[in-house]
Amino acid sequence: MSRSYLFIPGNTPSMIQNLDVFDSDVIIIDFEDSVTSYDKDSARTLIKNFLSKYSYDEVEIFVRINSYDSRYFHDDINALANLDISGYVLPKASVKGIRMLNKLSNKPIIPIVESPMALLLVEDIAKEKNVVALIFGAEDYTKELGIKRTLEATEILYARSIIAITANAYNIDAIDTPYTNKDDDKGLLLDATNALNLGFTSKASIHPNQIDIINQVFAPSLEEITEAKRIVKKSEETNKGAFSLDGKMIDLPIIEKAKKVLEKAKKYNL
Amino acid sequence: MKASAGSLESSDCLITITKSNKLEIVIESVVLKQFGDQIKEVILNTLKDNNIAKMHVVCLDKGALDYTIKSRLETAIKRMGESHE
Repeated sequence: MSRSYLFIPGNTPSMIQNLDVFDSDVIIIDFEDSVTSYDKDSARTLIKNFLSKYSYDEVEIFVRINSYDSRYFHDDINALANLDISGYVLPKASVKGIRMLNKLSNKPIIPIVESPMALLLVEDIAKEKNVVALIFGAEDYTKELGIKRTLEATEILYARSIIAITANAYNIDAIDTPYTNKDDDKGLLLDATNALNLGFTSKASIHPNQIDIINQVFAPSLEEITEAKRIVKKSEETNKGAFSLDGKMIDLPIIEKAKKVLEKAKKYNL
Repeated sequence: MKASAGSLESSDCLITITKSNKLEIVIESVVLKQFGDQIKEVILNTLKDNNIAKMHVVCLDKGALDYTIKSRLETAIKRMGESHE
């Protein structure tokens, strides 16, 4: 239950040592796309020494390792063994990759659904052991389809919907794809709101400037919190599975949803 | 034989090591006056941890913290070993 996931390059000390100032609920240290082949070893050593020396209570740290079929996969896992990380982000989501990772570690896994095949198999992916969330990777997904991304994002609507529905069905986090135009706050707000309305619980980002908007969108509003408090209070007072509030019928799913809103509000001190 | 690791970006350092028959450490840093001794100590400790007594080390520092200096030197040492194998 986090709002924001920020990718930071794994071989850039200036970003790494400031990871707690970006206000992102989760930091994803990247060993994959943002680190060149030449510097994969350098990034591993840097992160190993960094996380051996510093620890953080206020932010969760995941690491995006290289995919299971790359020559870097095992070295990445070995470098991270015994370090205090929350888990792994696994690119190129596949059941085979998750199972291979599960053989080497028992930590939480967030697979990135970024291919048409992964989308077809997304339910199998979500069901695998230790999978705690799904990230949609729209850049690679549209690249594989050979289509262009647009501001309207209609070309990824189906994929987004399936991923959000699947994650919610399996009670895991649904993390939306990053909005790549880092200077377009209005576009980000619209994009994040659309994702929220499709059922995503959070959004990934590749730029720290986007975190404030993402946190706002994926946190419950004051209105929602007030409403949730009233629902939970009345539910406790009436001690009934269903009741009426302001002329609306309130039943168990709505009560549970209200409790979730309050949990989120508590977590983010709202 | 030579190997290097790191960069000249802010908060990083570029470390280059060359095989030598003596220990030589050259440090260039924007904060040499304040942290030169500390940088040297990190380099000496890292060399010691890797059982290296003789080496020519050049550290071009851009305000790197200890963990970064240590990491870049460790990577350079590893790279030198690999190129030797």
